[in-house]
Amino acid sequence: MIDCDVHPQIGDVEGFLAYVEPAQREWFRRQGPTLGLPGYPWSHPISWFRQDVEGDAGPPGAVVEDVRRDVLEATSADLGILNADDAIAVSLMPSPYRAAALARAHNDWLREQWLDREPRLRGAIVCPAQDPRAAADEIRRVAADARFVQVLLCGGSERPYGDPRYLPIFEAAVECELPVAIHSGGEGMGIAAQPGGAGPPTFYVEWHTLGSACSTMAHLVSLLCHGTFDRLPGLRVMLLEGGVAWLPGILWRLDTNWRGLRAEVPWLERKPSEAAREQVRLTTQPLEHTDGRDDLLFELLEAVGAPDILCFASDYPHWDFDDPAFVLRRLPESWRQQVLHANAAAFYGDRLGG
Amino acid sequence: MSGSAAWHDVGSLEELERGGRLVARVGRREVGVVRDVWTGSLHAIRNRCPHSGGPLCLGLVRERETGTPGRYALTGRRVLRCPWHGWEFDLDTGRCLDDPELAAAVYPVRVDAGRVLVQA
Repeated sequence: MIDCDVHPQIGDVEGFLAYVEPAQREWFRRQGPTLGLPGYPWSHPISWFRQDVEGDAGPPGAVVEDVRRDVLEATSADLGILNADDAIAVSLMPSPYRAAALARAHNDWLREQWLDREPRLRGAIVCPAQDPRAAADEIRRVAADARFVQVLLCGGSERPYGDPRYLPIFEAAVECELPVAIHSGGEGMGIAAQPGGAGPPTFYVEWHTLGSACSTMAHLVSLLCHGTFDRLPGLRVMLLEGGVAWLPGILWRLDTNWRGLRAEVPWLERKPSEAAREQVRLTTQPLEHTDGRDDLLFELLEAVGAPDILCFASDYPHWDFDDPAFVLRRLPESWRQQVLHANAAAFYGDRLGG
Repeated sequence: MSGSAAWHDVGSLEELERGGRLVARVGRREVGVVRDVWTGSLHAIRNRCPHSGGPLCLGLVRERETGTPGRYALTGRRVLRCPWHGWEFDLDTGRCLDDPELAAAVYPVRVDAGRVLVQA
């Protein structure tokens, strides 16, 4: 089993600061434990974390021992992919220079504190997407280490990622033969656009329902409309934690609109859903509850390429994580091996090793 | 279409040139004749969009675009664009270019002594 979404926490802030370039270290130290990353205006009412596990040093997931115990051993995962946590949102910091420094520090910290200590973990490259050329430089720098298996972008953004300003990021990823993962979160924070398109939500429950799904849809539709998958045939995209139940609806809607509005995007020779089916994958968590109608959910997903397009993720150590045993029970039996292992193995390829 | 189908007079060439199209009932169906203004050629197509039933022949004959991501180009290919949802159809084959499952029937057309004749 491959867990495609595990979030390492920065528990030891001072230890982390050692990875920040000396000339910027004091600035980051002065920001306190947030490290200057944009905060959530919508706060979880109780806790961001699972309440049943305790970290060896700070919050759960702050040291490699926690992940080894709670993910690799507790859930029989063979491999876990570390997708940063709050640091995903470096791209939402007002200063691209601070963001670049923090991204570099995070990638180096991840390599030494996590990947060097546990061979069953893989990394995702954090990058300052608000400065795409700097982001591309960082991708090329870090990609030399084969334990980094993808580029990580934040769901919150200034514009959807099909915008040509972001091309250097996607080009660098393809050049390094790395997929690009877009992880929900950060919508409405820092310099990001507001989530949902109807003004700021009131509650965390609203944000968590809409923000992450809407930004994921927006990035997917944007990449498809701009023809990014045609421009870069080697591009592969993983959508993390944005939900899955909406996928058939949005792809059918886009295919329909493409037929009537193609004069605007005449470079799209393929039906958009076909590009998605070939070059996009989604993680299962948080797999929507269906009030007993999982049969309908899986039948709809099958119409747009499931089970091939789904990969398991737990989201450890967050409150809304999915336990693999729970997901396994819900999945059709014939899907299980693919979703839990084979799809991610094929998607990430050689860099997963083993 | 079968070779034994009859030729039907659907209107005058002058009327077609004035209005850009002709639409006439032929038996139980409506058939339209549209002109490709670039080549002057006439095309007879069933006046019912196979997508959702719109009056296909009231649409525009236009040049279809193509391109590479971010760059627009023209194909040189004329298409009939349904006036309802904008799906585009090949003038010669009636095939929908945006959904290969769909096609509108097309018919032979000719002009004889200023009259437009459709074989259907």
